[in-house]
Amino acid sequence: MTDRVTTMRPADDGLVSRIASLLHLEATLLDDRRWHDWLELYTEDCIFWAPAWASDETWTTDPQRQVSLIWADRRNLAARIFRVEGGDSYASMPLPLTVHLVTGIAVTSSAEDVVEVRANWLVHSFLRTSGAILRAGRYEYRLRQIGAELSILRKKILIHDDAITGAIDFYNI
Amino acid sequence: MTADVLSAASTSAGAASIGSLIDDRPTEGIFRVHRSIYTDPAIFDLELKRIFARAWIFMCHESQLKKPGDYLATDIAHQPVFAIRTTKGGVSVYFDTCAHRGARLTTGRTGYAPTITCRYHGWCYNTDGKCIKVQFEKLGWPDGLPKDFDTSLRPVPRVASYRGFVFASLDPGVEPLEAFLGDATCKIIDLLADQSPSGLEVLDGSIRYRMRANWKFQCENGADGYHVAAVHRNYAATVTYREQLAGTGRDPLENTEAGRILNRTGTRTGSYDLGRGHMLNWSDRANPAAQPLYEREQELLQRFPADHVRWMVRRGRVFTGFPNFLLNDVASTSIRVWRPVCVNETELETWCFAPVGESDKARTARIRKFEDFFFPSSLAVPDDVFAMEGAHQGNSATDRGWIRFARGYATSREGADEPAQGLGMQPASSNGQGDSETVFSGFYRRWLSLMTSGEPRART
Repeated sequence: MTDRVTTMRPADDGLVSRIASLLHLEATLLDDRRWHDWLELYTEDCIFWAPAWASDETWTTDPQRQVSLIWADRRNLAARIFRVEGGDSYASMPLPLTVHLVTGIAVTSSAEDVVEVRANWLVHSFLRTSGAILRAGRYEYRLRQIGAELSILRKKILIHDDAITGAIDFYNI
Repeated sequence: MTADVLSAASTSAGAASIGSLIDDRPTEGIFRVHRSIYTDPAIFDLELKRIFARAWIFMCHESQLKKPGDYLATDIAHQPVFAIRTTKGGVSVYFDTCAHRGARLTTGRTGYAPTITCRYHGWCYNTDGKCIKVQFEKLGWPDGLPKDFDTSLRPVPRVASYRGFVFASLDPGVEPLEAFLGDATCKIIDLLADQSPSGLEVLDGSIRYRMRANWKFQCENGADGYHVAAVHRNYAATVTYREQLAGTGRDPLENTEAGRILNRTGTRTGSYDLGRGHMLNWSDRANPAAQPLYEREQELLQRFPADHVRWMVRRGRVFTGFPNFLLNDVASTSIRVWRPVCVNETELETWCFAPVGESDKARTARIRKFEDFFFPSSLAVPDDVFAMEGAHQGNSATDRGWIRFARGYATSREGADEPAQGLGMQPASSNGQGDSETVFSGFYRRWLSLMTSGEPRART
């Protein structure tokens, strides 16, 4: 693994609890399909990034020269919301019921205006036609802090599975 | 179709009965396949033996094995194999099994093993397949291993490459690769390989995915222009919406072919039965400047005839290779392979490839366009996968018996049409409409000819 946590350290309790609230809110908004509210958690200049596999144990690291599963700025996220709301995507109608479990939240570095966080995720997706799918991995967030307000500047999603069944999209990872 | 015929097809002696699963009456304009070819496990078992164990199967592109010892593990007809770059510089393909007690040798799907070590009892091989170490040999065999103990790795009987695309076959008697591909297919591959004097490279970044559908649905889907306006209408609408959000003044490379997908631009399209079971679907680009290769058009015109460059730069192409690979040069460029797992499950894998030496801007645009369409995380392939799964489920209703490929007979003709002639290419048939179904007959005739031939003779 290339992204070992080397700088994990105790952080201010208030900050950790605000971060946990943000991550849990994000999970809830996704599971409740409140996509537009979800997008409001992101900055205008955000990046939502799910790297692909570069080898058996490494993910791609350079989105400009290597292929990612998803490399989306805010405009691309809005387009993905448009896609699943359109009622016209074979893979998105019906949408699965999802439950995001987010745990192991840890601050990996913090400066006055930018906080970096890692967390573990597990998403249970269920479709009546094809059953349940479990996927898991790690999140790496870069959060922008203005006063007490946190917003998502970058979310990197490492997906551990390398044999995907069904679709992967912003709502089920 | 009676139950008798189906049960007869279930035996290895059932070649004649398999013939009855394809209803091919060219003079009457009728081409039908029986639905059981998608769903009958006995037919699937025969396909492994008679198609996958006899055909040339795509392994990898040479650029995926950069240095000696780089390997890629896969399977052919459910037999584990790996392709490896040897110290002499070539690519070899071996059965992935130790000469000692048969354990699988590779430890990953891709890796680096200048010395291939079996983890079970510690035997070691070099990249030429020669056993270079038998663990504690003197203790167990004081006089050395018996002379008749074959300690070498078994090479897969045939390995060959065409323009950097590496294929292997389990059948020692298979025809030469270029004959298997055929002249028309070689010309289509040339249109990719010629895009840079330094050749092509496969980019880092891949993922496997599975669909719960028979493997032949992916063969059909690649050559099926008809589904695009239905299944990918959503893709087109989504990228159009994204373009609107971006406003005007964006770089041409940020544009897409959405309008063409929605079949609103009136561009010329076509589909070819390339012969030997290979199929091509093509469409003139409505917006050539949106394409990463556009920056090289003038340079290519110095090196190749204008008609060839037109095919390279201004005509999007989806090539479906028999039996299980696909080469795309549409919004972006991709290689896809699909491996039959069982009658109703298929594993797929897709890579992006690019001409070596393209500009940074074109490379990044190519990658973004690839991500838009070709992965199970894209705006399009998930819809394909669900469509193919739906096709499999529906075809499990065998009451109707037959699928009739009927669309586009009026526009089909034998041999080359004018665009094919421009490339000096002789397809078996040409169709002036990209959304016709006439090309499928070429695929299924090839399928039938292999299914009704014997199995490869076992090597001693």
